[in-house]
Amino acid sequence: MTDNRITVDALTLGYGKQTVLNALSLPIARGKVTVLAGPNGCGKSTLLRAIRRLHRPASGRILLEEIDIAKLGHKDMARQIGLLTQSPSAPEDMTVEELVRLGRYPHQTLLQPWSAEDGRAIDKAMAGTGVAHLRERALGSLSGGQLQRVWIAMVLAQESDIICLDEPVNHLDMAHQIDCLNLVSQLNAEFGRTVVLVLHDLNLAARHADRLVFIKDGRVEAAGTPETLMHEDMIRNVFGVHSKVITDPVHGRPMCIPIGTAPWRKMVPVSDT
Amino acid sequence: MSTLSLARTDEGLSKAARYAILTGVLALAMAMSLMLGYRQYTPLDVWNAFTAFDGSETAVVIVNLRLPRAIIAPLTGASLGIAGVVIQTLARNRIASPDTLGLNAGASLTVVVASFVFGISSLAGLSSAAALGALLTSLIVFGIATSAGGLSPLRIVLVGVTIAGLGHAIVEVILTSNEAELEQLLFWLSGSFMDRPISLALNGLPFVLTGAAIAVALARALDALHADDSTAASLGVPIVLVRGASFVAISILTGTAVAMAGPVSFVGLVVPHAARKIVGLRHTHQIAAAALVGAIYTTLADVLARFVIYPTEAPVGALTAVGGGVVLLALLRRRAA
Amino acid sequence: MTRARTAPVLIPALLAAATLLALAGVAFGSTWIPIENVAMVLVGLGDATQSLIVLQLRLPRVVIAILAGGAVALAGYLLQRVTRNELASPSVLGVVDGAALGVVIFLAAFSNESNALILPIAFQPLAAAIGALAAIALVFVLAGQQAASAIRLLLFGIAVAAVAKALTTVLMLIGPIYRTNQAARWIAGAVNEISWSEIVIVAAALVPLVILTVAAARKLPPADLDEISARSVGLDLPVFRILIFILAALLTAAGVAFAGGIGFVGLMAPHLARLALGRGVYTGLIGSFVLGAMMLVGADLIVRVAFAPVEVPAGTVTAIIGAPYFLFLLMRKQRNDG
Repeated sequence: MTDNRITVDALTLGYGKQTVLNALSLPIARGKVTVLAGPNGCGKSTLLRAIRRLHRPASGRILLEEIDIAKLGHKDMARQIGLLTQSPSAPEDMTVEELVRLGRYPHQTLLQPWSAEDGRAIDKAMAGTGVAHLRERALGSLSGGQLQRVWIAMVLAQESDIICLDEPVNHLDMAHQIDCLNLVSQLNAEFGRTVVLVLHDLNLAARHADRLVFIKDGRVEAAGTPETLMHEDMIRNVFGVHSKVITDPVHGRPMCIPIGTAPWRKMVPVSDT
Repeated sequence: MSTLSLARTDEGLSKAARYAILTGVLALAMAMSLMLGYRQYTPLDVWNAFTAFDGSETAVVIVNLRLPRAIIAPLTGASLGIAGVVIQTLARNRIASPDTLGLNAGASLTVVVASFVFGISSLAGLSSAAALGALLTSLIVFGIATSAGGLSPLRIVLVGVTIAGLGHAIVEVILTSNEAELEQLLFWLSGSFMDRPISLALNGLPFVLTGAAIAVALARALDALHADDSTAASLGVPIVLVRGASFVAISILTGTAVAMAGPVSFVGLVVPHAARKIVGLRHTHQIAAAALVGAIYTTLADVLARFVIYPTEAPVGALTAVGGGVVLLALLRRRAA
Repeated sequence: MTRARTAPVLIPALLAAATLLALAGVAFGSTWIPIENVAMVLVGLGDATQSLIVLQLRLPRVVIAILAGGAVALAGYLLQRVTRNELASPSVLGVVDGAALGVVIFLAAFSNESNALILPIAFQPLAAAIGALAAIALVFVLAGQQAASAIRLLLFGIAVAAVAKALTTVLMLIGPIYRTNQAARWIAGAVNEISWSEIVIVAAALVPLVILTVAAARKLPPADLDEISARSVGLDLPVFRILIFILAALLTAAGVAFAGGIGFVGLMAPHLARLALGRGVYTGLIGSFVLGAMMLVGADLIVRVAFAPVEVPAGTVTAIIGAPYFLFLLMRKQRNDG
């Protein structure tokens, strides 16, 4: 048994003729928070979806422990990996409880459609995300932050040991961003879940990641701790942004202050203070 | 949309009580169907007709004319109600139904072709033809929808309605060129429970039960399909398989309903909305409630049809079309779709 | 703009084709009457039998097909222009079914016991007009703000049409059976058994409507603008729109009052006219009328030749051809779904 919960091995994947991931290899550590970051269109969301087997790879494979995911059944897969996609949708008149229950789908069978275990799991998921009081509310009546927590509750109810979240804080205000990512960190810390996040905000990524993975043009450009990865040359190389990296005075994590895009900098030199 | 209109009345009656009430109403509706019509009978007349059939006119009317429709009407309604639930989830579209997606008209067309062009008259043959017609139409409609790069739900409904219009036009050509009676034309264009032999219900029942059983088996997967495809897939739903099985269920249910009673309009559109209001969104409940509500709806519509232009009987499909059209307008106005 | 320049050539060509088609419409049938004999009859020199067939049986249906097809196509052109919605047409906006309901109510309400109308038949187009106006008003009132979305507007139209159609079916059964048969044919759209007196009524109704249409035509280009810009060039768009809707409803009613529910002519003819002749308003109107007339004459010809001796309603043919065309339009564009 290795320390890698997920191993992506020479994965090539595309839509039609366009290649999105190009022979990408990446080990993902057990019980850690791994954040995939990179510029728009670099393939980070596609990689996350490929790990959850929502796209069929052209070549290469993905292993969970030592098992190729191509060999796993639909529900096996779902009991191991929960995924929250970027803009999930459900009917407006669905209640919070009805949505969170969906997370139990992979644990149910035709002969045992509902068990006490299922009830316990959804209660726990709703309590953990602070949405228990919304149980009977319709999704259409919730605020954006509440809705996002309900969706996360659904993924938690799945009780998978790997949790993948694609841009979970995209449409949230600052307070909800913090709540949401703290919740994720807490899940990781308390229950040892393996978490894979896609985040485009580099500073949020640096703050919450155990391991940071920079993806560019469908390949892993660099992977390591935020401290080893977050430096100015790397950020210019990956994001095309000239920046200053300092240490966040509160969390002690590296923090990037963007100054300008790289080509612009070449034209108008900015003095390094 | 306001919070108020989204809130469901989940407090109060338990689900068991709700089902009990629905079942009671259905029994009442079926009793009304036996008693009321061109002639009115007392409960005692009905009781005597069944327990001591004496060959009197009253007994003959009740057993031979009223009983078949008191059974075929609810069976058709239940069938279309369940089909409506499945199709609305599958299309993620609250104005989808066997009618608005053209399945009714497709089934109607293949039945007319089977009987007028190929001379098929056996009930099993016609039911199969209807199911095949519904299946082909659903494949065409969803095929057009996906081949055009994912049509919006509203556009899919327009495609369905247009294909339904096309089906009706062809039915009309076949029937008029075969010099069919106007009544036949009306039947195949709008449906009716009048003068249908009880054997139809007996032949239809296994098909309806099969369709319903598939729907129930799919219930939890359909729950997950309330969410978007990616989420459903990540919950472990074999989406292609579930879609395929759902199409089969919808086609069997719609096809059998059409073979029994013609294309009774808009039942599958209206019923799921009522079912969700009563028991919520989970499909095991939605399906059970839709079967009961559908049965009640068509049975009462059938009773009403005997009185709106009394003493003449109105085609029940026309009544459900008026009801469904009004509901469709209300849904559109509320932007529920 | 290149297409607009070809209009002077295309319009005479279209008219010539329409004339040929109309002559063919008179010539074909259970007996074939050579074109030259048709011409002889028309100038008053034919033999008695052929005169009877041509003047009393065939010519009326060709003439009504021209008038009805043309009128409905004009209505379709106006609706497509003013809603900026290429999918709009009298049938999908419920106007045709509204007119049908009006006529069936008229037939049911104003017949005596012996099934004779107690009002002059000239009131039938009026009943159609009231039904058509009620339907289009209902569609737009219910749709409200949502009318701006092409697809939503159509769905409102379809729902109203469904209700009107169902009520029509119920009412048809109240009437005595012969009238019911007549009504059923009417709803499917048929141009047989039309008399000259009915044609005169339709023509009399159409003349002022066509004049109004031509008068309104010059305001159609500014109506393409948004409301505020239109106002700044001197057009009160909301009022103008309502006037055009009324005009379109009346044209439809006049067209279908005797010829029945002719599906899809009002969708296809204006569309093809625009494809062939460009966006010019006058060429568009002429093209729509001519193409609409040709379609219905052609459809009637098809049912007469292909299904003889049974009379299949011409409306079914236009529906069978028109429905796939509508599907094609639906699939082609993916915008403004609201």
